[in-house]
Amino acid sequence: MSKRAIPVAIALGLLTFLVGLLTFLGLLLNLPQLSSLLLRWAGFLAAVALLLGILNLFAVHVGRLFKGNIYSAVLALSMVMVFALAIAERFDLVDGGVNLVFNLVQAPLEMALASLLAFFLLFSGFQLLRRQRTFSAVLFLLTVVLVLLGTVLANNRFIPAGIGELFAQIRQTIDSVFVVAGMRGILIGVALGTITLSIRLLVGAERPYNK
Amino acid sequence: MDAFVLTVGTVIIVAVLLLLFTRAQQRGRLIALRPLPAYNILHDQIGQAVESGSQLHLTLGQAGLTSVASPTSIASLTILDTLAKDGCANGTPPLVTVGEGTLLPAAQDSLLHAYNEAQFTSGFQAGAAQFIAAETDPFAYAAGVTSVIHHARVSNNVAVGRFGAEMALIASAAERASAAQVIGTDDPIAMALARAVTDNVLIGEELLAAGAYLQGSASQLASVRVQDLLRLLIALIILGIAFYQLFTAFFG
Repeated sequence: MSKRAIPVAIALGLLTFLVGLLTFLGLLLNLPQLSSLLLRWAGFLAAVALLLGILNLFAVHVGRLFKGNIYSAVLALSMVMVFALAIAERFDLVDGGVNLVFNLVQAPLEMALASLLAFFLLFSGFQLLRRQRTFSAVLFLLTVVLVLLGTVLANNRFIPAGIGELFAQIRQTIDSVFVVAGMRGILIGVALGTITLSIRLLVGAERPYNK
Repeated sequence: MDAFVLTVGTVIIVAVLLLLFTRAQQRGRLIALRPLPAYNILHDQIGQAVESGSQLHLTLGQAGLTSVASPTSIASLTILDTLAKDGCANGTPPLVTVGEGTLLPAAQDSLLHAYNEAQFTSGFQAGAAQFIAAETDPFAYAAGVTSVIHHARVSNNVAVGRFGAEMALIASAAERASAAQVIGTDDPIAMALARAVTDNVLIGEELLAAGAYLQGSASQLASVRVQDLLRLLIALIILGIAFYQLFTAFFG
């Protein structure tokens, strides 16, 4: 670090400590005016960052458009059109245009992608078994089969009630014992990591803002 | 117990432990890290991209720096710092995509710093870090990242940060492109999906320990030791409560 950068680093460290401490005290002592003020500032900065992100997206795709990428042309054109629609709405020239685009284009596309998830998961499960036939891979497949059977056979009138109930109980046990235990273990680890990293940030031992 | 006392107590205990272990590390009582294969593989990613004449793609997820999941994003930015430095030094800077606004300037700053440090001749280009979609549109983000993986000749894919179920789309796109993958996230659903696609998964706290594994400063190593200690303490408390409940159920 150069000599000129040292005062800047110290100032940044102090500012981070001060803002972090004020936010922490605001939340801890239940001072809504203080914490909401700081959160509003953070929200404002996040909004500006989002605007910069949108400009970055537009610039990147306009650049690709000139290299002949047809998908980038569609994206850039769509952005301009939706922006124009929003401006027209602002001046009461159109009513509900942006919502209409969202409901007719974006929402169905996102739902289509979400519905593909099940197929990707199934494919990944088979890939896992093809890649390695270890104990954990077999356990993974066995759990998937049991959970699926537990879901499908419960309350199925073509299956004897006893069998359906057995699989439903197995599924319930997997869910409430193994899955919950595993997830809690992971979340406790994440919480501990978050606490230590946050304290390091607060005291200035970690300075991602000043490389 | 009062929430105030619990919070202040936790912060004080963690801060004191961090200070003690940092001092111990600085005095030469070295803290050993347990080996995590995903971090070893992460170091090889740039080398593989250079050898194959293609690009490393790094996506940072959808947790903003102003959200509660910001520590996850800070850990992913540490990974970006390391990969950007390695990449620029070898003439192959990574291609970075982000799914949240505040991550873009942070990623650009990291890349710019690496470009300058390596005196990279072609200069920094804004497209080296790309914003894909806002955090409210996880599937638009996944679709955008998928498109980048297919069009940018990506041979190595690193996805670190906060992801949800959309992780399945990103990971399977990278798999179809035959890209080597390292995935790190703190979300249990995304973790499960990632585990089905690759063995190189950084699970929750392992991702948050990125600084200790990649940069290894005294305070970063100390924080891993503090986490281990507290985890052991929590495990003992849970076991104690379970045995107490069993005991009272049988004899109480």
